[in-house]
Amino acid sequence: MAPAPPATLRPGPWQWLRRELFGSRLDGLISIALLGFLLAAALGLAKWAIFQAQWTVISANSTLFAVGRYPLEQQWRLWLLTTLLALATGLSWGLLRALPRSGSSGPPPILWPRNDRWAAAILVLLALWRPLALQLTLAIQLRWWAITALLLLARWAAGRWGQALPPLVRRLIPLIWPLLYLVGMVLISGGLGLVQVAPSDWGGLLLTLLMATFAILLCFPLGVLLALGRRSTLPLLRWGSLLYIEFIRGAPLITLLFLGQNILGFLLPGGLAPDRVWRAAWVLTFFAAAYVAEAVRSGLAAVPAGQLEAARSLGLSMPFALIHVVLPQAMRVALPATVGQFITLLQDTTLLSLIGLLDLLGTARTVMANPAFLGRNAEVYLVLAVLFWCCCAALGLGSRALETRLNPNLAPSR
Amino acid sequence: MTTPAAVMIEARGVEKWYPNGFHALRGVDLTVHQGEVVVIMGPSGSGKSTFLRTFNALEDFQQGSIEVDGIPLSDDLRQIDAVRREVGMVFQQFNLFPHLSVLDNLTLAPVLVRKLPKQAVQRRALELLDRVGIAEQAHKYPGQLSGGQQQRVAIARSLCMEPRVMLFDEPTSALDPEMVQEVLEVMQGLAQDGMTMVVVTHEVRFARQVAHRVVLMDGGMVVEIAPPEQFFSNPQHERSKQFLRQIG
Amino acid sequence: MTSRSAAPPWWRNRRYLPWLVQGVVALAVGVVVAFLLSNLLLNLTARGLLLSWSWLGQPAGFDLAESILPFDASLPYWRALLAGLVNTLRVVIAGLVGATVLGTLIGTASFSSNGLLRGLARVYVEVIRNIPLLLQLIFWYFVVFLALPNGTDAIQLPGLVLAKSGLFLGDPQLVNGVWQAPLRFSVEFGALLTGLVVYTAAFNAEVVRGGIASVPKGQWEAASSLGFAPLVTLRRIVLPQALRVIVPGLNSQYISLAKNSSLAVACGFTDLYSVSETTLNQTGRAVEVMLILLGSYLVIDLVISALMNGLNGLVQLKER
Repeated sequence: MAPAPPATLRPGPWQWLRRELFGSRLDGLISIALLGFLLAAALGLAKWAIFQAQWTVISANSTLFAVGRYPLEQQWRLWLLTTLLALATGLSWGLLRALPRSGSSGPPPILWPRNDRWAAAILVLLALWRPLALQLTLAIQLRWWAITALLLLARWAAGRWGQALPPLVRRLIPLIWPLLYLVGMVLISGGLGLVQVAPSDWGGLLLTLLMATFAILLCFPLGVLLALGRRSTLPLLRWGSLLYIEFIRGAPLITLLFLGQNILGFLLPGGLAPDRVWRAAWVLTFFAAAYVAEAVRSGLAAVPAGQLEAARSLGLSMPFALIHVVLPQAMRVALPATVGQFITLLQDTTLLSLIGLLDLLGTARTVMANPAFLGRNAEVYLVLAVLFWCCCAALGLGSRALETRLNPNLAPSR
Repeated sequence: MTTPAAVMIEARGVEKWYPNGFHALRGVDLTVHQGEVVVIMGPSGSGKSTFLRTFNALEDFQQGSIEVDGIPLSDDLRQIDAVRREVGMVFQQFNLFPHLSVLDNLTLAPVLVRKLPKQAVQRRALELLDRVGIAEQAHKYPGQLSGGQQQRVAIARSLCMEPRVMLFDEPTSALDPEMVQEVLEVMQGLAQDGMTMVVVTHEVRFARQVAHRVVLMDGGMVVEIAPPEQFFSNPQHERSKQFLRQIG
Repeated sequence: MTSRSAAPPWWRNRRYLPWLVQGVVALAVGVVVAFLLSNLLLNLTARGLLLSWSWLGQPAGFDLAESILPFDASLPYWRALLAGLVNTLRVVIAGLVGATVLGTLIGTASFSSNGLLRGLARVYVEVIRNIPLLLQLIFWYFVVFLALPNGTDAIQLPGLVLAKSGLFLGDPQLVNGVWQAPLRFSVEFGALLTGLVVYTAAFNAEVVRGGIASVPKGQWEAASSLGFAPLVTLRRIVLPQALRVIVPGLNSQYISLAKNSSLAVACGFTDLYSVSETTLNQTGRAVEVMLILLGSYLVIDLVISALMNGLNGLVQLKER
């Protein structure tokens, strides 16, 4: 280990600033110009946000932005779903922290590590601030606070007693997510005794998230299959996958969405063609699958051929060898690129507004068309941008965290 | 040998062409008996690794026949699976599964293929790791071990499937010189316990001390098969003499 | 000794199984495709929309907001589509140039000795990449370009006027409260171009940054020990080597830009896609319009790839 530099050599904040910003005369000029520009921009933005912007356009339409034209008397179903989601999130979060990683002999887990305290604090702040900013009624504010409290409670309980759970229960807990997804679908669309809510009534953030999760969940297995086909030794599978991937990647998404809306009706016998919303969802899925396939393919290419040979010579069948040996390693390599595609997919849901669906952006455009809110473009689009930025950045951060968790600084053996 | 032991591997007239037309094996014959250690030597490109890999169907062949423990290797996938369960293989590059701990590397195949209970397999895996001298590393990952340790884990991984034959494909070629000995010692111990082994290697000392017979291959053909003392001191063929001069 | 067993049953024969698998897949795909195509044929016949191209010669009956090629409503559909294609090409080519310049600037800025500049380059990339392009385009059009002043309040620079009615170049004159100049670009074009350039530049910057980072540190050290200034080192020593990594990376970004230009419809620019949409709405010729659209973008992609591959051949180091 290198000896620490003597205290006088360690740069203080001022020295650091001097070195970084005023290292040379040119750097100094650039810094001053940039600082001036940033200051002017920040002042201008603050002035606009406080004196000119009229944020009522957001608070007056907050329900519309959240769920679109989802019938008011059925919205309790979405509240129930949100509550369930918060519970599941808290439970999973707590268990992830409480249970030691398999095989590692690190220190026993701490109930609230520093990062988690931060996350919890941000969550509480958001829960306190957001309803106030949106000027929600007290009843709705209370619901948000209760849901946040429930999440943190579940997090605490799972962290506290997670290790005491019998192994079988622990193994079953991840299954609550697919289960919750099905329950969520029923809650949102109706059926099983609930009143049907047509997809054309879904909108706003609800539609955006629904489309994104649906496409992400389905495009991933499809993409893996396509990637395996693309690398198959069987010529028909290889060429078929190649043709599909290159066709999709050669076309702009909007033309494919357009194709889905205008031609799918011709391709299926009358009445079988799905609703416009589901058509778009399937197009998004098939579109993203081609890109995920390319990401997974690069991961597969990074797994040495010897791995498959070793698995096969141990007697593992081809499916076993792929599932237990090749794919876990390939996915680890492909993870950043795959999550990158998921982020792109989330952004691509905005294109639904171009084919007349009322996703977050589509809702915004209808609000803009309302004469009462004429000229309030900047406020609305700025809020959407911040919302999308937070979601995408969070996904990116999550992917990086998962990457480090999966790779306990190991050099792969050849 | 006074009583003829059972035949474990029987290869007859094996011919192999690669898809690019290269004639890799030109009518190779070899019989390996139970409990026998056969070392295959030869210059690079002589087809010795290819030949070894035909024994567990990692390479196919176009003509001839191979039987392992009485099971013929044919186009029947069930028989190929059966042979692979009986035959363990150790690779030059170890090919440990880097995403699994050492213990999981050992238990993966017995649990999935032989459908044995996980607890019993883990006990056996720990015994085997103890036998190859790395029981205390069971919960580490392959990337945290030295090359010699990795190769010993690879041997233990194969043994965990309780194979009837072990194949070694240049097991020490990728190792730093100081680690070769620890791997060879494990292999020697295996031979003493009566394991049937076919070893492709350049280690003359191992061949002299452990092998029952040495096979020299060149140009896709078997040049000479002889007990090691005869092969190294009094080779019969001109090609063998030349090879021994090159490696000696 | 066991004798060689009889030939194995076909379902576990190593020689036949691959063909079996492929056969099943081919059959499944074939059945689905045949089903879809037969439906298509049936439905199109029922509506009298069987594949035909003669409608391309009929008068379009709609006007285009802007076009370099002369166009009016009496000209046939194919002229409208051609004008749309030319508009697409115009924005793609201008976008490629702009995104390359801006991307290179930002990519190299992340190696600046100025910490503030480095940080801003990073922030630029992180902000732009995490906001949907469509949202950015709409923002540029509705919030920035449509809010430009008009008439005498327009932004006036020597030889250049930027107003709500467009960007005027080459001695603009105010005639009856309307700006006129030899060269005019519409705000729709401006918003689309700005959005595409700003968005693609973030990705190009990452490609450039990755390329420069791929040049070994020893090259910088060797150059500075020879007495080159940092900027000279970057331009003469590092960039030529980084190009080997940068050019293939830019290829896919350029293709993305070409495909993303189809979002022009969001800011009212009449590109190929928007003309196609109008054409489809008027003629109902869904299949033909889709074929034209997909074919055009495929050709654009292929041309970009071919050019970039040629460039790639030039920048790869000559190694013997």
